Amino acid sequence: MSQPPVEHRVPASRPGGFPLKSTPVPLLEIRDLSVGFETNRGLVRPVNNVSLSIYPGQTVALVGESGCGKSVTSLSILRLIPQPPGRVLGGEILLQGRDLLALSEREMRSVRGKDIAMIFQEPMTSLNPVYTIGDQIAEAVTLHQGVSQRAAYTIAEEALNDVGISDAHRRLHEYPHQMSGGMRQRVMIAMALSCKPKLLIADEPTTALDVTIQAQILELLRKLQRERGMSILLITHDLGVVAENADAVGVMYASRIVEFATVEDLFDRPQHPYTEGLFRSVPKLGTTVDRLETIPGMVPNPMHFPNGCKFHPRCARTRQCAAAVEAGNAVFPAGANIPKEVAPAKDGEGATFAVLKKCATVEPALREVQGGHWAACHVIENFDAAPVTVPRLDHRREVVPATVEGDALVT
Amino acid sequence: MSIDPTALAVEGSFAPADDRASQAPSRSLIRQAYHDTLSSVGARIGLAWLFLLLFFAVFAPFLANSHPYAAKINGKWSFPAFTFLTPSDVLLLVAVAVAATLFFWRRFTFLQSIGILSGILLIAAVPVRHWVKPPDVDVLERYRDYQAQGEIQHAIYAPIPYSPQDRLRDQPDARLRPPSRKHWAGTDTNGADVFSMLLHASRIALSIGFLATAISLVIGIIYGAVMGYFVGVTDLIAMRIIEIVDSIPTLFLLIAITAFIEKRNIYVLMAVIGAISWTGYARFIRAEFFTIRKLDYVQAAVAAGLPKRIILFRHMLANALTPILVSSTFGVASAILYESILSFLGIGLVDEASWGVLLQQARAGGAGFVWWIALFPGAAIFLTVFAYNLVGEAIRDALDPKLRKRD
Repeated sequence: MSQPPVEHRVPASRPGGFPLKSTPVPLLEIRDLSVGFETNRGLVRPVNNVSLSIYPGQTVALVGESGCGKSVTSLSILRLIPQPPGRVLGGEILLQGRDLLALSEREMRSVRGKDIAMIFQEPMTSLNPVYTIGDQIAEAVTLHQGVSQRAAYTIAEEALNDVGISDAHRRLHEYPHQMSGGMRQRVMIAMALSCKPKLLIADEPTTALDVTIQAQILELLRKLQRERGMSILLITHDLGVVAENADAVGVMYASRIVEFATVEDLFDRPQHPYTEGLFRSVPKLGTTVDRLETIPGMVPNPMHFPNGCKFHPRCARTRQCAAAVEAGNAVFPAGANIPKEVAPAKDGEGATFAVLKKCATVEPALREVQGGHWAACHVIENFDAAPVTVPRLDHRREVVPATVEGDALVT
Repeated sequence: MSIDPTALAVEGSFAPADDRASQAPSRSLIRQAYHDTLSSVGARIGLAWLFLLLFFAVFAPFLANSHPYAAKINGKWSFPAFTFLTPSDVLLLVAVAVAATLFFWRRFTFLQSIGILSGILLIAAVPVRHWVKPPDVDVLERYRDYQAQGEIQHAIYAPIPYSPQDRLRDQPDARLRPPSRKHWAGTDTNGADVFSMLLHASRIALSIGFLATAISLVIGIIYGAVMGYFVGVTDLIAMRIIEIVDSIPTLFLLIAITAFIEKRNIYVLMAVIGAISWTGYARFIRAEFFTIRKLDYVQAAVAAGLPKRIILFRHMLANALTPILVSSTFGVASAILYESILSFLGIGLVDEASWGVLLQQARAGGAGFVWWIALFPGAAIFLTVFAYNLVGEAIRDALDPKLRKRD
C-alpha cells in the first residue's frame, strides 16, 4: 500500500517532552473493516469498509451521529463485539503489524488492557459496585504486569495521583458509589492507563458528564497523552471536543467513513456534504441566527440503507446539482465524471425530489481527493481520478499555547 | 513545583458532592445491608434463636451428658465427660474457638477468615482423629450405680445428666415418663431423655441445613453462571434439564432416592437434599447474569483483558449473589424441614436422634400418641424454620433498593 503524500505541518517538538518526530509506521491501522450483526431479519452491517490509521502519540477522532457505527468500530478493535450475533465480515486491524483479528482469544487478552485500553461512556456504571476502586485497578495491574498485590496497589495509587485525584491513598479503599461522575471517569482513566497502554480508545468519554467536568477530563487526557506519548482514538459526536483534541478526524455516516482529514483541514475545508451540514448545524460565536440549520431527514436504519451513496436522500449538494441538471445549467467540478441524469429520491417524510442518478446508484469509495484529505462524494473535484488508499495522516495539531502550558497556567 | 489546575478544581469549587461522600465512613453495600438486617426486630429474634441453637449444638456434650464432668471414684479423680468426647466434638470446639478469635480480633476480611478457619480445621483434623479415641459408649447409669454403692465420693454432672444414647439401656421404669423435674421433656419408649436428644439433634438440624444448602448453592451457582454467561444453545439445553428436574415434586424425588439408599447417614441426606434443591439458585443466577453480562463494568473488565474465569466468578457473581443470599436462608429452612419429613416417614436418619426421628417416635413407639415427644421436637423444628425465614426476610428487605431508606 502506497504511503500517500502527507502535508506535514508539525512543530519540531511538542511541549511535554514527547518527541514529535514519530516513526512513519502507524501504531494501529484498520483496513477495510466490515462488521455484521445476524438478526432475525437478516444481516445488518453497522460497519462497512472502514479504513483508518493512528500514529503514535496521535489523537484520531471518529465523529458521527448515534448509530453510525463509530462505537462498533471501536469495539471491534478490542474484539468486544458480542459473538454471536456479531461477526467481523472482513478486513484487518493491524496493531504494529500484528493482525488483531487473527489472534487467539488468549493472545487477545494480553492485548486488551495492556496494549489497548478503553474507557467507556458511562462512568456511573463502568465500575464494579462491589469492589473498592483500589481492588479494581490493582486487579488489571497484577494481571498484566505480573507484580505483587502490594506493588499493584502502589501503582494504583500513583495512577490515581496522575489523574488528579487527591488523597489517593484513602480513595483506593472507597467504593464507586462514594464518588461523583467526574471522579469515576478519572478512576476509569486511571484504570485504563495503569498498564501504560499504547492506544487508548475513549468512547464518548465526556458525554455523561456535565460541561465543567467535561473540560477537566479532556484536559486531563491531553496532559496524560503528552506525558506518555500514547495514541488516542476518540469516539464522539461533539464537534467542539474534536476541534480541541483531535489531530486527525474521521467523519462516519451510516456505517462508513465519509471524510478523513487533519483537524485543521476538515474544519477549514470540509469536502463532504455531510460534514458541511454538520458544521452548519453548530452555532458560531459572533453570528446571530434565529434557527440553526439542520440536515434534513434521519440517519438511515442499518436494516435498509439506501442504494448508492447512503447520504443521498439527505444531501443538499446532490439536490442542487439535480436541480441544475433539470434547469440545464449544471456545471460539475473538474475531474468528477457524472452523467447529467437525475433520479427521484424520497426523504424520511415521503417527500419526493430529484437527485443525481449516480448518487442514487453508485456508492462512492473513500478517495484521497487532495493530499492528506480523503472524502467519499461523487461531486468533488478530481474525485474519480483520486486514489483509494487507507487514510494515513502522520499529523499533530499545533496546540494553542495556553492549553498546552496547562500545568503552568497562570489564571 | 507546578500546580495541576485540574487537581485544584477538584479540591475547590467543583467537588462539594465528593466531599460529602468522603465524610461518610467507607461502607460497602454488603455492610450497609448487614446493618439494615440487624436493625430489624424479626431478624434479631430469629438470630437469637439460631445462636442459641448453635450454642446447644456446639456444647451439647457438656449440656446433656450422663458422664459427669469430674468424678472422684475410689479416691481417684477422672473426667469422663472429656474422655468420652468424639473427634467431631473436639473439632467442633476447635472451630468455634478459632471462629470466635477471628471474629473478635478483626484482623482479617471475611473471606480470609473463612480460609484460615478451614485451613486450621483441616490441619487439626489429622491429630484429632489420631489421638481422640473415646471408649465405647457403655452403660450410662453406671455412675449413678457407683454412687449408690458409695464408690463415687464426688461427681459434677452436666445440667442435664442424660445422654441421648441412654435409650440403648433397657430400663422399664424410665420409659415414657411425662415431663417432670427429672426429665424436662419426658422420656421416650427406650427410656432416653427427650430433652437431651433434642439438644444433640440440633447439631443434625444445623449441619444438614447448612451443608445441604451449601451443596445446592455450589451446584446451582456454577450451573446458573454457565447458563447465564454462555447464552444460546448451552442455555437452551441446560434450562430444559432444570425444567425436567423441577417437574418432579421435590419431596417425591427425595423419597424415591432415599428409599433406594440402604446405608443412610447424615452425609447421604445432605448430599441428596443438596442435589435436588439447586434448581432455584441456578435460575436466580442465570436471570441475574442475563442482566449483568450486558452491564458496562463487565464490558470494562473484558476490555481490561481479564480472563473469563475472573469475570464470571469475581465480577459477575459478586453482583449476582444478593438474591441468592436471601433464597439460601429459606433454603436452609427447607433443608431442615426435608430432613425432618424424611426421618418422620422413617426413611431418614438411622440410629441417630434427629428432630424428625423423635417426631416419628411420638407415634410409632407402640404406645399410641405421646404428646411430649411430639411437642418439643415439633416446636424446635417450627422455631428454627421460622427463625430462618425471619432472617431471610430481613435480609431481603435490607437488600431491596426500593425498600432501603435513603439517608
